[in-house]
Amino acid sequence: MSRLRILPALKALIAIKPKQKLTAQYLLSLFIAIVLAFLVGAGIMLLCGYDPIECYAALFRGALGKPRAFGNTLAKTATLCLTGLAMSVAAKAGIFNVGGEGQLYFGGLAAAVVGARLAGAPAWVIVVCALLAAVFAGGLYAWVPGILKVKLKVNEVVTTILLNSAAIYFCSYLTNGPLKTAERGISSGTDSIAVSFSPIIRLSNLNGSIWIAFAAALIIWYLMTRSTAGFEMKITGANERFAKYGGIRADRLMIAGMVISGMLCGLVGMIEVFGIHKRFITNLSAGYYFDGMLVAMIMRYQPFGVIVMSFFFAILTIGGSAMELSAGISGEVILIVQAVIIFFMAAEGGIRQSLRVWSAKRRVKRTHAKEAGV
Amino acid sequence: MTENAPIVRFEHVSVRFPSALANDDVSLAIRRGEAFALVGENGAGKTTLMNVLYGLVRPALGTVIIKGEKISQRHDPMRAIAMGVGMVHQHFKLVPSFTVAQNIALGSEPVKNLVFYDQKRLNREVLALSKRFGLPVNPGDVVDDLSVGLQQRVEILKALHRGADILVLDEPTAVLSPAETDELFEVLRSIVREQSMTVILITHKLHEVMQFSDRVGVMKQGRLVGIVNTSETDEKQLAAMMVGRELLFRDLRAGEPSDREVLTISGLRAMDDRGLEAVKGIDLKLHAGEIVGVCGVEGNGQTELTECIMGIRPQTGGTVTLNGRNISRLKPREIRGMGVSFIPSDRMRTGLSAEATVMENMLVGKQRQTEFRRFGVQFRKRRATSYAKALSEQFDVRSGGVDLPMKSLSGGNMQKAIIAREFSFDTPVLIINQPTRGVDIGAIEFIHEKILQKRAAGCAILLVSADLDELFRLSDRLVTLYEGRLTGSFVNGEITRQEISYYMTGGRQEVRA
Ligand SMILES: Nc1ncnc2c1ncn2[C@@H]1O[C@H](COP(=O)(O)OP(=O)(O)OP(=O)(O)O)[C@@H](O)[C@H]1O
Ligand SMILES: [Mg+2]
Repeated sequence: MSRLRILPALKALIAIKPKQKLTAQYLLSLFIAIVLAFLVGAGIMLLCGYDPIECYAALFRGALGKPRAFGNTLAKTATLCLTGLAMSVAAKAGIFNVGGEGQLYFGGLAAAVVGARLAGAPAWVIVVCALLAAVFAGGLYAWVPGILKVKLKVNEVVTTILLNSAAIYFCSYLTNGPLKTAERGISSGTDSIAVSFSPIIRLSNLNGSIWIAFAAALIIWYLMTRSTAGFEMKITGANERFAKYGGIRADRLMIAGMVISGMLCGLVGMIEVFGIHKRFITNLSAGYYFDGMLVAMIMRYQPFGVIVMSFFFAILTIGGSAMELSAGISGEVILIVQAVIIFFMAAEGGIRQSLRVWSAKRRVKRTHAKEAGV
Repeated sequence: MTENAPIVRFEHVSVRFPSALANDDVSLAIRRGEAFALVGENGAGKTTLMNVLYGLVRPALGTVIIKGEKISQRHDPMRAIAMGVGMVHQHFKLVPSFTVAQNIALGSEPVKNLVFYDQKRLNREVLALSKRFGLPVNPGDVVDDLSVGLQQRVEILKALHRGADILVLDEPTAVLSPAETDELFEVLRSIVREQSMTVILITHKLHEVMQFSDRVGVMKQGRLVGIVNTSETDEKQLAAMMVGRELLFRDLRAGEPSDREVLTISGLRAMDDRGLEAVKGIDLKLHAGEIVGVCGVEGNGQTELTECIMGIRPQTGGTVTLNGRNISRLKPREIRGMGVSFIPSDRMRTGLSAEATVMENMLVGKQRQTEFRRFGVQFRKRRATSYAKALSEQFDVRSGGVDLPMKSLSGGNMQKAIIAREFSFDTPVLIINQPTRGVDIGAIEFIHEKILQKRAAGCAILLVSADLDELFRLSDRLVTLYEGRLTGSFVNGEITRQEISYYMTGGRQEVRA
């Protein structure tokens, strides 16, 4: 299934720097946006001559109906959630990592190389070493734009976007050149790794890596919402000048946020390699990080919200392709629904405004009625 | 409509924020062509009431009638402007990189040949406007380069350019020097008398009320508790109405400074944000138990001087020594660790984080203390919250709850929150810049007492203020700052205000501070 390509929109969203609080009002308008998006989707289905109820039923069945489908949805949730948290942890500290794709690629490549070279070692040694290598590679590649931002005031959005392409092309060169496997039938990829995660549900993408993802998400959630460092990051992200004045090491925290973000992306790369492809391939990610970024921005970088929204987006993605098969409607419709949700999120301010006008009107009416009654 | 019909009528206006009832059934009629003053404690709801008029806040109940016309459900600033309302906010809303003329005409630029923006005509128009109202400006100047007083003049002209005949000014004099203040009132008075404009003025300075207004409205906890004719009242009565008690303003005796030198500044130099030298070699000594007051018209290097001491702004020359240690190259965190606290004048940008909660704002700097940590990593939020509550109580910071964002506080309460945080560090050195700007008179008294308590406890205090009364009340020693240099140093009590004013505007005395 093709994927949302909305980098320009993302950049615009970053530029307006979404507010950091999830308020009840925001959640309400989010809910309204989702309902509206589904209605628009239904309208499109009707226009194309499909029964929307049947289509949506197929969608949810396709995402949650069978164990295998559910496994795929969970695996997708893990990817979205890790990338979404990666975006959030940096953004909370006031630095925007748009370079997650590059960090993911380097993480995946490092894991694949370690996984292949360590053949013969005990499985757990391989997994742990690959994990460390992936996290290190991703973190290091994020450290570069972080240090450039803090020391030289180079805009991190620009550098991370550029570093994405650099990483993807460099990995592509390596897998087609020095690291190209000798195995037959593989056009561009590294040697296959010695051990890999076994599926938890047969024939699904859900495998042992889910536990690692779960642990990582938990740690990030704790870091962001419960720790002293998280508190300091939040202050830094909200007003860097104030943070410095207040004696917080803002520079350090921003770099830390970026590096942790990169480490998470590296981890996603490792999970892709060890869980699915069993080697590094040139198209390791189809824009996974950008999907995660979207989720993060919609949920205003709140870790718990990101986790929940990841599940919802995973249902849309996995269910969308199932719907394509069973109801015969093009999966593009689901892309439209996603786009409409994002669109309504961008218009969230407007929705909230009309909510307020509406409730004000009602209040006025009510008091008039009361006065008339008295 | 007769001449004396009210031009603006608030009818039972109530505004409810999630945290507070900011306006509680306010009914008020403003007459055409009068100068109306609105006073009240911090958080009384003055700004909110005017925001209703200007369309920034929608009332939950009640309505406003402007010139006989009810405001609509969709009342907003555009509509308010169209109805003749102009508002000068406490924090200016100008585009810094635009010229004076461009700012004034923003959104209504004259057009030539249907397409081109007519710069020449615009400048002419602005010049004519400024002449008509006696507010001289140079249309070609870039706003960023103007003093605060001039920027305010631009704000006023902007409102007048859009045809405002109801002018609202929210604490306009908080940022002005005494001379600028006099000038402003002269202009406002002529506007009211000669152009029959209506002016609504929010202020905390009661002598301005007496000097300028025809009538005064007093607000308290969201309610309008009284309207009086200015000629029939006095400052004392107004203060009592506002605060609900008599203010003492006791005479404050000077402390007993010791000879122990705590902070030594020598040859300090620094640049401002534009890269021009703003501090040009300052020498100053601060002793334990002493308050040194820095007098000067704003923009003569006060902000840069204080920021340099705190390590927020890089020094370009000289040294700052704290208890014998050179702290010139240290970071704010390290300087704080060595016992310096700082109340910056630039509240919204440096002193607080508008988006963060009140608790977070009050706790910054203490988050690493063991009291607020568990296992060395975890933030003890509940403890922090109850700490912030206690501190709020101690300093009378009125918020709707410490977990609300800082920006939901009224201007004066924000300031009190900053003071509460900085004073709670119990450091031996305090750098204080404009402690009582935008703070009501009751709170001023309170803050002054706190500062004197600090002095009594042996703190060395550097106090910068645009308010000479404040400096004369509190300081042991006074120094004058003009264009980045100290022009004089005096023992408080041995000099008059006239003399100080002379040194503040460039006169020189050859004495080292
Ligand atoms: N955006 C907001 N959200 C929530 N509460 C608000 C908001 N703005 C103001 N308030 C609350 O409304 C009350 C009135 O505030 P307002 O700003 O009108 O006071 P004020 O009289 O102008 O005070 P000051 O003299 O300190 O400026 C305060 O209790 C304040 O906390
Ligand atoms: Mg106010």
